[in-house]
Amino acid sequence: MTSGLTLYDWTPDVRCYAVRLGLSLMGVAYDTQAADMDLPTFQRPVGLRPGERPPVLLVAGDVRMTRPGTIMQFAARQPAVARAWLDPAHEWAILDWLDFGTMALDALAAARDLAFGTTLPVLPPMGALVAALRRMEDHMSARAMAGHEWFAAPAASIADVLPFVVFALSADLEVERDTCPALRRWAHRMRGLPGFVVMPGVPDYA
Amino acid sequence: MERWQPVSVLSNIRRGEVAGVRIGGHEVVLWREDAQAATLHAWEDRCPHRGMRLSFGFVRDDALGCLYHGWQFGGAARCRLIPAHPRVRVPASIHVRTYTVREHAGLAWVSMEGAEDFPHQQADWPEHAQPVRTVHVHAPVGQVRHAVGLAPDGGMAWHGPVGLAVHEPVAGQAMLHVVRAADGPSALTLSHWAERLRDAVEGGAQTAPVMAELAAGATA
Repeated sequence: MTSGLTLYDWTPDVRCYAVRLGLSLMGVAYDTQAADMDLPTFQRPVGLRPGERPPVLLVAGDVRMTRPGTIMQFAARQPAVARAWLDPAHEWAILDWLDFGTMALDALAAARDLAFGTTLPVLPPMGALVAALRRMEDHMSARAMAGHEWFAAPAASIADVLPFVVFALSADLEVERDTCPALRRWAHRMRGLPGFVVMPGVPDYA
Repeated sequence: MERWQPVSVLSNIRRGEVAGVRIGGHEVVLWREDAQAATLHAWEDRCPHRGMRLSFGFVRDDALGCLYHGWQFGGAARCRLIPAHPRVRVPASIHVRTYTVREHAGLAWVSMEGAEDFPHQQADWPEHAQPVRTVHVHAPVGQVRHAVGLAPDGGMAWHGPVGLAVHEPVAGQAMLHVVRAADGPSALTLSHWAERLRDAVEGGAQTAPVMAELAAGATA
């Protein structure tokens, strides 16, 4: 309990995974409070406020953040974190794709909640998610042709984290990998980054 | 009927890479050895052990490993290592179904019937076509073929220095493969052009004006 950061975390939640992945890639240490949102309210950690859902990042007991995009920026601005994660030379492009990533991640979370929140899995409306994936695929195709390997900067940045979660877990919603070849090749690079972590549905090597 | 399907641009399947593709609803794994010869393989996308898709697996040297339990299959598609039983001599009966595959005109071509003759080899196509991009189109394959001027059994449609091919991953969808001759428009230009064609086909708009861009060289 020395990191000063506490993450209220629910393992199978895609937004929580995005936060865990980003913090791990950036080498930011934190303490975890597990919060199983399938349990009744009284069995959840007391620090979680009514109506609040993980992820919640608590900084020194004062600042609370619940949006993965904000948490990525917070982490990338820590003095000990490599500047490449929010490269000043590409800051606006990174922030623009970070914002896009939060939207796409919300679309993924909504679709997964609908698909898995039933006794028998059903396929939810996929329009928003498919549109996001297509924009990502077109973007990364163009980036590859221009000799770039990452979403918004010469190196991996916080712009890559949320789109990775969206692409990786869209497989659960029957988005076939062959429809996004440029994203497949980029995701493979993501897996090779130091600090890369997995969650159920994201295999640990491939 | 023996038929060669163009399934991917070659730039999507480089040395040591593995990729799943679908052909008429059949799942196929493409993988390229991470070895001197860097041979390209096309197999049924199913591990004979537990049915896991091999396209989720990994290439180790000249073998493809399954993600589930690490069973490794060599170039001849026979299982040669079961990591949980490393000293077991693996029976020859444990193997993956193979298809024939050719690399030609910047594309990977697969025959699920195992055809050995490759009629497109003699076609009058530019010698060194460069891969541009494979684009997913959410529209019946017939619509895409019609838009690009491909006969139902045609291999490729060349519009000057731009080559187009189409295959059907699953009913109601199409994959458009774009390649270019060295003197053609840039890959980036053609990539954006392919997006416009895709959007026109999916949106039910006129595709002729988009195709006319190729004839006019307006993509350059």
